[in-house]
Amino acid sequence: MVKYHPDTNTLLEFAASSLPAAQSVVVSTHLQFCSECRQRLAQLESLGATMFEDAQPIDINPSVFDNVLARLDEVQEVHAANDANASTMSWTVKQIRKGNLDELDWKKVTRSLRIADLGEIEGAAEFSLYHIAEGGRIPQHNHSGTEMTLVLQGGFSDESGSYHAGDFIIREAGDIHAPTALPGSDCICLAVLEAPLRFTRWHHRWLSPLLQLRAG
Amino acid sequence: MVDKQGEGARGQPATSAWSVPQGRRTDEWSQCVVRIAEHRDRAAFGKFFSHFAPLIKAFALSGSSLSAAHADELVQEVMLKVWQKAAGFNPEKAAASTWVYTIARNCRTDMFRRLQKFDTQLEAEDVGFELEGAEPTMALHASRGAVRVRELMSDLPQDQAQILAKVYMEGKSHSETAAELGLPLGTVKSRVRLAIQKLQVFMDVGSEE
Repeated sequence: MVKYHPDTNTLLEFAASSLPAAQSVVVSTHLQFCSECRQRLAQLESLGATMFEDAQPIDINPSVFDNVLARLDEVQEVHAANDANASTMSWTVKQIRKGNLDELDWKKVTRSLRIADLGEIEGAAEFSLYHIAEGGRIPQHNHSGTEMTLVLQGGFSDESGSYHAGDFIIREAGDIHAPTALPGSDCICLAVLEAPLRFTRWHHRWLSPLLQLRAG
Repeated sequence: MVDKQGEGARGQPATSAWSVPQGRRTDEWSQCVVRIAEHRDRAAFGKFFSHFAPLIKAFALSGSSLSAAHADELVQEVMLKVWQKAAGFNPEKAAASTWVYTIARNCRTDMFRRLQKFDTQLEAEDVGFELEGAEPTMALHASRGAVRVRELMSDLPQDQAQILAKVYMEGKSHSETAAELGLPLGTVKSRVRLAIQKLQVFMDVGSEE
């Protein structure tokens, strides 16, 4: 039974598609575990749909409809081409969804800790999987940005509590903790560390990760 | 999930504003999508287009986040997806309006990313969650529920309604909303939660299992 969930604000940003990609992957993976949050998401999407339906309609030039009609038959081909071009990151996300974690690129960090770096992604300074051997401990650390964690297998405990498969945990910048895997089975977590440098203005939003790449 | 009418705690109505009897939807837009899927019916597609395309354009232009040319491009993309994905639409699980809203939302997010030239590698669909095909319960959004939410919406204080419009219609994050309105992030978050409470969006969560 999942005990820790994304809050209403996070779920609403997800429902409105304004949560950055990395955080969205964590939330959508939580949704695979949690029917309660799936229900809440459906309700939040319905609210969005109601607002959408109640918008003041804006006239469309008839040429737009003609263009769409002319393109109806080419749609299938475009779809096939998109599938062929699916990115590595898109493949990675699918493996996480399916639980095919062995396929990923794991690196040994300590005797009890392995990490799979999932690559560069919008909205995250780090996007990775942690594999902690049962009873193993991650050295104490703090965060320069918000850290979002989802337990995929096993469980861990820290100063604030213990967490099991499906639990969704947020640690704010400055929180210090030293997670320890629970006994009984190895613990695997999906974690996103928010990009420390983040523009808040709308038209700068997608620039932040680019700047980090350059700074890195 | 089972609809437990009459079991609401503390005198609240047991069901959320969305709850409706389950069953196949017979509203005209859901029927339209079914005809598009089953018969590749261009007349039904035309009818669907004339109703929803002007709404998609309004959605695209909310908060002036896209130019008029990009808004028309978005309308085309969304309507092509409607044609392409119609076979995956299940009228027992979602209203056509919710279905087309989620397509428009995803296409707009992808367009924002393309326009910012950010090579995100991921599309909104890759990171989203398709509720269709999950358990047979979701998004029970019928006219009765929508009418009630609309009534509650008209009583919503302006400062909360404005923020809901920014997060849904303009697709802005809470921090972008806070920056634009010159409000602390915490104020935006709490107004969002208050609005969701007043609209009774979550009423039956927690009493269902």
